[in-house]
Amino acid sequence: MLDREVYRALEKIVGSENITEEPAILDTYAYQWCTEVEKASRGEEPSRFGHRPEAVVLPCCTSEVQAIVKICNQYGIRFKAHSTGLGVWGAVSGPGTIQLDLRRMNKILEINEKNMYAVIEPYVTNAQLQSELIKRGLNHHMQGAGPQTSPLASHTSMVGPGFTSASTGFSGRNVLAVEWVLPTGEILRLGSLNCSEEWFSGDGPGPSLRGVMRGFMGAYGGLGVFTKCAIKLYPWPGPREWKVSGVIPNYEFEVPPYWKMFVLNFPDWDSFEEAYYRIGEAEVSMMAMASSQEGLATMFSNTREQTIEKILSDLMTKVQRYFIVLVAAHTEREFKYKTKLVNEIVKETGGEDLVEKGVVKPPSISYAEGVRNMLGSHAFRFTSCFQSTHGGMDTISMAINIAKVNVPIKRKYIEKELIGDDRGEGMWITFYEQGHFAHMEIPTIYDPADPESCKGYADYSMECNKADIEHSLGIPFFIVGDRMHDMFGPHCCNYQNWLRKIKEAFDPNCVSDPGHYISPKK
Amino acid sequence: MATSLSDYEKLMAGCIRCSNCKFIPALQVKSQKFSAICPAIERYNFHAYSGGGKMIIAQAMLKNRIQYTEELLKVIYRCTACGGCDIACKFFFELEPLEVILELRNHCVESGAGPMPQHKKYIESIKINHNPYGENHEERLSWLPKNTTFKEDSDTAYFVGCTTSYRRREIAQATAKIFDMVDLDFTILGPEEFCCGSPLLRIGDRRDALELMQKNVEKLKNHGIKRIVTSCAGCYSMFKVEYPRYLKTDFQVIHTSELLDNMLKNGKLELDKEVPLKVTYHDPCHLGRNSEPYTPWQGQMVKVVSRVYIPVPPKAIRRGTNGVYEPPRNVLRSIPGLQLIEMERIKEYAYCCGAGGGVKSAFPDFALWTASKRVEEAKSTGAEALVSCCPFCATNLKDAIREKGEKMKFYDLTELVLKSMGGST
Repeated sequence: MLDREVYRALEKIVGSENITEEPAILDTYAYQWCTEVEKASRGEEPSRFGHRPEAVVLPCCTSEVQAIVKICNQYGIRFKAHSTGLGVWGAVSGPGTIQLDLRRMNKILEINEKNMYAVIEPYVTNAQLQSELIKRGLNHHMQGAGPQTSPLASHTSMVGPGFTSASTGFSGRNVLAVEWVLPTGEILRLGSLNCSEEWFSGDGPGPSLRGVMRGFMGAYGGLGVFTKCAIKLYPWPGPREWKVSGVIPNYEFEVPPYWKMFVLNFPDWDSFEEAYYRIGEAEVSMMAMASSQEGLATMFSNTREQTIEKILSDLMTKVQRYFIVLVAAHTEREFKYKTKLVNEIVKETGGEDLVEKGVVKPPSISYAEGVRNMLGSHAFRFTSCFQSTHGGMDTISMAINIAKVNVPIKRKYIEKELIGDDRGEGMWITFYEQGHFAHMEIPTIYDPADPESCKGYADYSMECNKADIEHSLGIPFFIVGDRMHDMFGPHCCNYQNWLRKIKEAFDPNCVSDPGHYISPKK
Repeated sequence: MATSLSDYEKLMAGCIRCSNCKFIPALQVKSQKFSAICPAIERYNFHAYSGGGKMIIAQAMLKNRIQYTEELLKVIYRCTACGGCDIACKFFFELEPLEVILELRNHCVESGAGPMPQHKKYIESIKINHNPYGENHEERLSWLPKNTTFKEDSDTAYFVGCTTSYRRREIAQATAKIFDMVDLDFTILGPEEFCCGSPLLRIGDRRDALELMQKNVEKLKNHGIKRIVTSCAGCYSMFKVEYPRYLKTDFQVIHTSELLDNMLKNGKLELDKEVPLKVTYHDPCHLGRNSEPYTPWQGQMVKVVSRVYIPVPPKAIRRGTNGVYEPPRNVLRSIPGLQLIEMERIKEYAYCCGAGGGVKSAFPDFALWTASKRVEEAKSTGAEALVSCCPFCATNLKDAIREKGEKMKFYDLTELVLKSMGGST
């Protein structure tokens, strides 16, 4: 419970309706996906209930956020802000911390069609933004966390791969100018916003602190609060009306005329790799992602039962190493060119298109779910829970290496029946930037209601981290907190020392919850 | 069948706090303005107000982390139990947010903390007057138009419902006149018609609700009723879904919109008078997503691979797929001169009118706030009138239209059908 003086000061800022200390309400913020894994990895009993914030406040604008942060500095209270708040990274990590729920900051402030950027507040969701952009023939990069999550949160603070990454990159590459309430309560406007009130660039004219702001993987909300940001927009290669018909769960999407999905299958990793690189370089795909046979069944099914049926069918024997490509063109000419190129690459690399062969038929809904970033959430259908290990953020070749190294590690845990059985082959790869850069993660199913399964996943995750170091496989996707940075830092030029210096310089009172970022001093 | 909060413990542990329960299914989002599904989180903002929030509260309650407080009661009861969160959640998950919300309310009542004081008043009224409005039971039939003919010995009962009988008499009158004009063989229970139990069940007073429901079943059986027709979405959902869920019943349950649609299809009803009107249709939650019956399941969860289990035999997931969506639309499309324009949020992902779940009585300002949102959406279509099939939606939406000084008109489906038949209320 907060000191009454602090409570009254916060209440004065947001109004009595927008602050609470009610334990039941606070518990809905203490509860987060993956807290059970963090607890298990610390040797605690797995539970989704983590630290209860001292209070939750709902600011409505930058000046309220700024005033709250100043109060926190004045009284030595820690704070943690989140947007939609999916995952333990959005929650407070220790006692004496208040939660800023940015739900009331939900405006699309500008869609600049000419300069192709949108300015958004923290609680604008991906689906909301995309629905407004499509009407204008535009689209944005959406992170894989889903259409109900915040693009601002990902663009400013997290890694942010997504299903259209082959054409839109990852979140860190898409953020332009930002408005940032620093941990001290000062407001910093980065990029063009600093000198022109324009949002078109994050790197100048004006200061570029992209590296400090989010570094390689993002500060996960441990370095102040981002209250507005501009993000890049892309041309939308479809009609300006989003047409989905039918009744749940059998929705049908009206697939635009120049869209085509391929499932390109290859006999081995070598031919897969060559084709994947070439598809990237050819710049023909809106989506280009690889997964396992189980992943294919999961993505192209509407229910768990349909998925299991597909997994148990002969699909498994007909699919080896594959990736899915979505060609989405604006004109017939562009469509013909791109599909021809895909077919040529497949032919020259010894692959086959499983859609053409009739082995796989992507349902129309999969096109819509792909571009709306919903396919990843299909993995929740098995046990209501999965999480990913590894990360890569390196090359396609490295992604394949990770997949290979991971198989025997994962199989050990599958044999003990601690995690879901995907034969150890489960993975998800997407490339960025013409295939020069790739993201790789290993999604893994576990049972959140079974402590043994949670502990099993936590152990598996740690073994993956050790393998990343031992085999030089890059930094994991979820690299958060002192423990992880101190584990990987010494193998990566002691970057953790720089992170700590940044934290110390920007947050001298250490009021911006460092739990999922880094503490100023070890 | 789950009968206590602890029966849902494993299922609730599957909530990942993803926030999907706050929005219409993502594939249906067509604008930012009309992307919300949950009135409670939209109005009160703290996560606790969402469907997922209630799942977390229920878990916290089971783990003895929290106690009932005045503030918590508000969180629990500032919810229309519209089931929007349930539909949105079940696109990916097989959790049951709506069932958990209702079970949490039952837990709240059984523990003596709930319901809200205003609910306690209407519980008393149902016990004394057989309606929640404090109205005299003798007045229940005062809606009945003179010269309405019905057969005492018919096995089809028009179950009018409390709201229609006392607050929206025009719906009852239009319905009875239509039945009269098409010579429908029907009866009414008259003084023997009591509240269906919906107001009790939705606020968590399951014990009193079941007692009332049992008595209603006995009365209907004594009258030889085999078919229940109702123009109230709340009564429909009770007889169609909840009665068979908790009691042994085999009545055929039909909503007037279904009956009218069937009559149009088999030529027993002709609509020939022009009704030149642009309308939009509001799907009542209890006629739409919440009218899908529970399919009892008995079986086993069988392991197919490590950690993955499937129900054998397959278990029907209640996703709102089989709600009454097309019949009212078919009827509207059959009215000459009438143009139906759809809102963005329709059918299983329709936005609630704001009245249900005890909200209208305990939190009238919230009910009105929600209805205003829905009226705004209706207005955005360019329609002149809003049409629905539920007296409770009608009351709340009309209140919002009046409160906001809107020009939009409101009609129950039966009123427009009667116009098109040349009749008037």
